[in-house]
Amino acid sequence: MLSLRSAAFAAAAAAILATPACSTPAVSPAGSPAAPSTAPASDGVFTLYAGRGEDLIAPLIADFEATTGIEVEVRYAGSTELSALLLEEGSATPADVFLSQDAGALGAVSKTGAFAPLPAGITDLVPAGFTSADGSWVGVTGRARVIVYDGDQLQADDVPESVRGLTDPQWKGRVGIAPTNASFQSFVTAMRLLEGEDATREWLEGMVANDVKIYGKNSAILDAANTGEIQLGLINHYYWYQLSNEVGIDNMRAQLSFPAAGDPGSIVNVTGAGLLAGAARDADALAFIEYLVSIDGQRYFVENTYEYPLVSGVNAPAGLPPLADLTNAKLDLGDLDSLAETTALLAEVGLL
Amino acid sequence: MTLTRTDSGGEASLAPRVRVPAIRGRTLIAASAVIAALLAAIPLAYLVVRVAEADRSAVVDAMWRPRTLELLLNTSGLVLSVSATCLVIGVATAWVLTRTDLRGRGVWLVVSTLPLAIPSYVAAFGWIATTPLRGFWGAWLVLTFCNIPLVTLPTIAALRQAHPGAEDVARTMGRGPLAAFMAATWPQIRPAAIAGTLLVALYVLSDFGAVALMRFQAFTWAIHTAYGALFDRTLAAVLSVVLALMGILLVMLERRARGARAKLGSAVQARTPAVLVRLRRRSWLAHAGLAAVASLSLGVPLAALGRFLTGRAESAFTVSAGDLAADVWNTVAFAGGGALIALALAMPIGILSARHRSRLSEATESASYLGLALPGIVVGLALVFFSLTVVPSLYQSAIILAFAYGVLFLPKAVGAVRSSIEQVEPGLEEVARTLGSSPADVWRRVTVRMAWPGIGAGVLLVALTAMKELPATLLLRPTGVDTLATSLWRYTEASAYGAAAPYAAMLIVVAAVPAILLTREATGGAHRGPQEHPGRVSP
Amino acid sequence: MNELQIRKIVAGYDGAPVLSGVSFNVSHGELAAVLGPSGSGKSTLLRVIAGLVRPLEGAVVLDGHVLSGPRVNVAPEKRSVALVPQDAALFPHLDVLANASFGLPRAERGGARARDLLEMVGMSDLAHRMPGELSGGERHRVALARALATDPQVVLLDEPFSALDAALRIELRAQVKRVLCNAGVTALLVTHDQEEALSMADVVAVVDGGRLVQVGTPVQIYASPSSRWLAKFVGGAMVIPGIWRRGIVAGPLGTVPARLADGELALDGDSVDLVVRPEQLQVSKLSQNSTSGVVAMVREVSYFGHDSVVVLDVPGWAEPIEARVIGDHRWERDTEVHVNVMSEAIAFAASP
Repeated sequence: MLSLRSAAFAAAAAAILATPACSTPAVSPAGSPAAPSTAPASDGVFTLYAGRGEDLIAPLIADFEATTGIEVEVRYAGSTELSALLLEEGSATPADVFLSQDAGALGAVSKTGAFAPLPAGITDLVPAGFTSADGSWVGVTGRARVIVYDGDQLQADDVPESVRGLTDPQWKGRVGIAPTNASFQSFVTAMRLLEGEDATREWLEGMVANDVKIYGKNSAILDAANTGEIQLGLINHYYWYQLSNEVGIDNMRAQLSFPAAGDPGSIVNVTGAGLLAGAARDADALAFIEYLVSIDGQRYFVENTYEYPLVSGVNAPAGLPPLADLTNAKLDLGDLDSLAETTALLAEVGLL
Repeated sequence: MTLTRTDSGGEASLAPRVRVPAIRGRTLIAASAVIAALLAAIPLAYLVVRVAEADRSAVVDAMWRPRTLELLLNTSGLVLSVSATCLVIGVATAWVLTRTDLRGRGVWLVVSTLPLAIPSYVAAFGWIATTPLRGFWGAWLVLTFCNIPLVTLPTIAALRQAHPGAEDVARTMGRGPLAAFMAATWPQIRPAAIAGTLLVALYVLSDFGAVALMRFQAFTWAIHTAYGALFDRTLAAVLSVVLALMGILLVMLERRARGARAKLGSAVQARTPAVLVRLRRRSWLAHAGLAAVASLSLGVPLAALGRFLTGRAESAFTVSAGDLAADVWNTVAFAGGGALIALALAMPIGILSARHRSRLSEATESASYLGLALPGIVVGLALVFFSLTVVPSLYQSAIILAFAYGVLFLPKAVGAVRSSIEQVEPGLEEVARTLGSSPADVWRRVTVRMAWPGIGAGVLLVALTAMKELPATLLLRPTGVDTLATSLWRYTEASAYGAAAPYAAMLIVVAAVPAILLTREATGGAHRGPQEHPGRVSP
Repeated sequence: MNELQIRKIVAGYDGAPVLSGVSFNVSHGELAAVLGPSGSGKSTLLRVIAGLVRPLEGAVVLDGHVLSGPRVNVAPEKRSVALVPQDAALFPHLDVLANASFGLPRAERGGARARDLLEMVGMSDLAHRMPGELSGGERHRVALARALATDPQVVLLDEPFSALDAALRIELRAQVKRVLCNAGVTALLVTHDQEEALSMADVVAVVDGGRLVQVGTPVQIYASPSSRWLAKFVGGAMVIPGIWRRGIVAGPLGTVPARLADGELALDGDSVDLVVRPEQLQVSKLSQNSTSGVVAMVREVSYFGHDSVVVLDVPGWAEPIEARVIGDHRWERDTEVHVNVMSEAIAFAASP
């Protein structure tokens, strides 16, 4: 037995030494800390930190690579982890592009000045309210806030049309939210702007008093609605489509209900991408961001993730309310100061 | 030898300092231990740097929020309840498997150890998919039944070394079986059982996956909120310092509870082997108890996994055997590397604690436990910071990831090194010196030779735990390289549970290998413990 | 040559000295015993000689070479001094032959020398047993072979037979003495068992409380003890006051012929302490023609098979007197008998 183990350790040690050779870190121009990039315009490869699911993004990247011949080194992780990672790495980051699932993460990175300003040709493509206010990152797709409900226990008419109805006693203990989730926080920010601080506080306290159930992620809320653990939940629309793809639309117990137009619950969150400062002159990285907001790229999202395109000239997925109906005009999604006030409010009422 | 003319007059009594030659080289060990402890304390150094940047009032605000205190109480309650349950069930299981004549003990031992191979987030997921149990009790259930083997295995090893005679004496003095056990045997196995419980407690402190799935807001929730919702790394660092302090408190408590090192007697003694308790009719009770524990720790998660493997509709994400194999290779290689690094760091610290107890040895040992008390995301970020500052060329390389594993799971190796070397009688080393072996020779031929099985078990445990690690792996792995755990995560993030199931199953299979080796370790060791045949009496 | 000199050794742990100036010499080939009660520092002395403890003062000199001294401390592995510890301390992971060969160079391990030594101690049949399978006596024999294999100049034995039963002890003592004699090696045996010291050793050094009380041949120690304590410790004795008058001490035991111990001075009429050993007392039936001796009352009789110990009360002396008698006569309790001292006793001048 001793020799078997020794052999195993020898194998492991050999593998450890071999693995770096197998997967070389990205040959990226921003390899050394705090060195302003003087990289050539295009070297055929760049590094992407993708805070979105690998199985959704991988085909898009494959399309991009096939079209442009540029190689992409992708690092997949959660948006939370990636934004923490980017903040920690600072200017020594090997990343060139950060594709994020939520605007808050983009705003946090942008605030430290880590992003290079994007050319107007890119930022102009997306209407205001769905992209950054200062051009440091660009919105790519939109996800509508929806109310998911348990189709077995409720009919479509039972579901309140406005999120304000969720504080009704009949929903005591039957509603799920994810207060740590960026989309929920954007929604609360929107409510603060539309309805005012006091009304928002009242609503939040009403939810707490109504024994609202707290989940960590939107997908967890969806699963809970799908099993009947809760009857109502606040999530983003696209999770439902993702799950129905996996299990079949007829097997979906949970169903979606869109709040009425103009309701604070009907805002759109965006996913977006930013160019890291070290890659300011990396043509490959820029080409990828361009691809994201191009017709081809936007169509990919529409067809594969059922998210809203943000660029004109591409139709929204069928069955979804038009983007114009959804409330975003007064909201700067990347505004971290406003976000900080929202999180303080959530903390005050005990949800964070 | 020096030729010195001796005179019959008085010796010049310069009264030199008393330096025992047997421990020459102590400074070398101490220096190595200090270096190892400093490396293990990198996460703490990172936290200190971040905290120093903090805005004092804002941080104090965040700390004293009622919610923060509520989370602190939540975590404390969870730590205490899980530790207590693991201790009781672990010791009971160890006793049944060592001191009774239960049939099929060997099989039960393997079954009882296998829960180590199941990551806590997979087990939690299995429970979520099976029952509506959530919240505190759900977290308690998952964390307890995943970690019982951490107490069972060292207790089994200790029981094999313990003197059974004292319990018999206690029985003749009128104590019932349980009282006799507590009075006579428990003090002998207490250090091992408590050391295992410490590992459980530290794990509960730092776990995020299982408690998040069970929707129980523990202190790690606050840390993750600080990172993910507030994007405030300083606040996260301050909260992590609280966790680190709690970890140190637990380490100190364990040291106190461990008591004086149990003198286990000569390495070889004519000791009568323990008479096994005959269970007879009560054996069904033992079988039922073991089965209940096994069904809660293995049955439910594996059944849920099986359901996902077979029941879920084909998803758009097909699992390629090539990807799976590549992930297996990466998992084993990184975990193996991490285990070797943990061994290298643990050796001087463990040796110092075993042989040269002092304030320094206690400090280095405490420092080594920090990694286990902190959530993976904190250790990961600490190593990002360290790597970029000190060795940028190693950033996002396999070596840094293996190093992260080493730092994270160092305590498991330190405990094994310390207790294995403690069990090697210093008398044997002294005899070897008088027989002409230099100190280095003695280490090689006697101490390490005899301690190796126990040390090997510690290394296996580190490898096993490293295979299941997720958050630090996500942060530090080389770009484009996946382990089974990260692939599993990727699919569950996309709610593609059907596609995730094969990775979860593979992870459990791969991790089961060191787990089974560990059971052989606990029962094997021909040179420790009483022999199975009676000693000869003729001269 | 090969003389082992112990010179004024002061040694201890953590500042408290356990040995306070012990000196004696052991000639080549001699077997010396260090005899003393528990805690007298005997084992520490052994460890100093072996080099495992550095003395605070004093020196250990072997064959003219200083092993331990004020400026010198030769490492244990470089001294030609082998140790047989109290519990044999065989290496549990090696078999008997490997244990015996431990100190030999690699090429010779398992070779002729080790086998010869195992033969000498009668363990060659068990050469491949593991230590856990041996009995206590067998283990000690292997430990002795192991010590002799390195051809040391000095062999140290630390209470080697204390863990064995009586019959085994006697047999093993004889064997070990024979082996050591045949090997012609200088040996130092540490024990608290007086029978062992007196029967095995060529020279006995008695230590108490870290100090050397007396060193000499066994006969000298027994017949001419240098102090009352020593008389009581080795062989057992009763110390009874009396008056000295020209070779006769008059006291509770009647008139006893005595000689003064070495270095003692007493004038006629001085008080002295008479030291009488139990085997010097003769117990006989009460009769009228008794010239020396006194009448005593039997209190208790302990029968040991080969002799009996009769405990007597003597008028004029509060403490009980013990007499060791052989023979079949059974003395009865609470009967009066006649007791007298058969041979010359030792007298010590009483403290003023």
